[in-house]
Amino acid sequence: MTLSWSSSTEGLLAIWLLVPYLAAFLAVLLPSLSHGLVLLCCSATAFVGAEVLLSASSTQLQLLGPLGVSLSLEPLAGWFLLLNGLVCLAVWLEAQRQGWDRTGWMLLLVLLGSLNTSFLTTDLISLYVSLEVVGISAFLLVLKGETANAHWIALRYLLIGNTAMAIYLMGAGLVYAQAGSFQFEALAKLLPGAPLVLVLVGLLAKAGVFLNGLWLPRTHAEAPAEISALLSGVVVGGGALPLLRLEQLNSSIGELLLPIGLGSAVLGLIYALGVNDAKRLLAWSTLAQMGLVLLSPAAGGLLAFSHGLAKGGLFLTARHWPSRSLSAWRNQPLAWPVLLPVWIGSLSIAGLAPLLGYAAKKQLESSVRPDIATLLVVLSVGSVAVYCRLCRAPWALAKASQAPGNAWPWGAWLLILPLLIGGLRLVGQVQSGWLISLAVLLLGVGLDLLLERWRQQELRPLPSLDRLPDLIGGLGLVGAGLLLALGSGVV
Amino acid sequence: MAPIRLLELLILLAALAGFAGLLLRRNLFLKVLAMDVMGSAVVALFVLLAARSGLRSPILPRSGALLAQDYADPIPQAVILTAIVIGLSIQALLLVVITQMARIDPSLDAASFEPKDQP
Repeated sequence: MTLSWSSSTEGLLAIWLLVPYLAAFLAVLLPSLSHGLVLLCCSATAFVGAEVLLSASSTQLQLLGPLGVSLSLEPLAGWFLLLNGLVCLAVWLEAQRQGWDRTGWMLLLVLLGSLNTSFLTTDLISLYVSLEVVGISAFLLVLKGETANAHWIALRYLLIGNTAMAIYLMGAGLVYAQAGSFQFEALAKLLPGAPLVLVLVGLLAKAGVFLNGLWLPRTHAEAPAEISALLSGVVVGGGALPLLRLEQLNSSIGELLLPIGLGSAVLGLIYALGVNDAKRLLAWSTLAQMGLVLLSPAAGGLLAFSHGLAKGGLFLTARHWPSRSLSAWRNQPLAWPVLLPVWIGSLSIAGLAPLLGYAAKKQLESSVRPDIATLLVVLSVGSVAVYCRLCRAPWALAKASQAPGNAWPWGAWLLILPLLIGGLRLVGQVQSGWLISLAVLLLGVGLDLLLERWRQQELRPLPSLDRLPDLIGGLGLVGAGLLLALGSGVV
Repeated sequence: MAPIRLLELLILLAALAGFAGLLLRRNLFLKVLAMDVMGSAVVALFVLLAARSGLRSPILPRSGALLAQDYADPIPQAVILTAIVIGLSIQALLLVVITQMARIDPSLDAASFEPKDQP
């Protein structure tokens, strides 16, 4: 085995990629070390991500020859790495209180490591392997849930994930047959056709976008709070980042994914506005936001980062909520250490200045076509209306003093603070549109009030879209739609 | 090249049959088996791709001398070996969960596990 290191940083990079797997084994064998190992791996990941972002450097690495594993570390991947480190760290903080055992820490470390690998690889086969490992460890984590249908949710997750990856692998095989290589570049250079569609169907299902992502809302809502934070915060990024890389390599792939991203944003918003369950609302909003992430590779990294932090933080407060039913929120006060993260996370995703979500949204609007940017402003009215519903609980300022240790969701605070700090740093760099933001905010609050009246009448519930045949049919429909679009030359 | 075209067609049919079974079968166990049919079709596709350059196993003889040029392509074969292992482990995990779910509904009708609440 000959490894082609050219410098010691590349060696360090490979070691850093492999350490979480080793740490996972150690955490099972020596449980007393597990906390230190989790802390080490999470902070190393966050450090590598922050370092790449700050230095804006990029490293390419080719292991085992031209057909081997190829890795690429650049600022786009840096956003996802930093997010991965921070979310896993926050989940570690919260999970300690839930009494996770050594298998929990092992799964967390394997998930961290496999996500790191999937963020760095630029060849189809390494991506396949790392996404399958992500899928298996997420499946085992979802099984930790105590709810009655945790088995069903987990089974559905793995079944859909593996079907999508089988379709993806077929695409990868066809890419090799036509181009003689498994690299992303080889796929992007091919004339768009069946291989591209098969790969995209698999990745879209992993990223939880549009009809391929219909499995997402129920899975993310029914999992335990910490697992939901992991799934909605970073795991969806494992599918989204390769899609962004493909868009970067060939802009016609971006054109092809544009209607799917917008469709996902609209679908997610409609359901997030309609449901009455707070965790389900957050999960449907993840589907909408992942659609937006795919719109532009230039802004996708920052958007996925700000969304992942805010959504992870929101899910981590879920254990402190009085109930999941949103109609009961108005009457039940929440202690301020819980409600403040809920507010900041909600306002960031809704796009309020000077939070990080505002900077991400502005960057996205300036990197897409003007007509799409107008549509995005309209959509952000909808997301303001969605997150208004979470900000409705009354503040309970006195309650915090009663149980200080228990009431502080430290993990959520860890994720919320970067939203504030990063937002203050970046808000000067984006073009300002205070007037539009204010108008969007007012319109969103108005839309929420309007919809609240409609919800109370309980006219017609939204159709259920996530039975198992729907999920599998969704994969087929999107695949057929993409093939038709390519065949008829629409895109 | 007619036999290869025919095999390609058969592999496509197997993949489609697996997908249809996954969609239409009501029994969870059969759904998982249908997924495996799809996985097998993918494996067959990779083996077929490897056979385009020749059918001989891509292993050098002890003397190191190349006997002929008709070696199969080792890359797709190596790749699919990993995928077979992953497919097997996922299959095993799914079957373990299904045995646990059989305690709730021994007929394993997928529709009976669907929650009835709001979307």
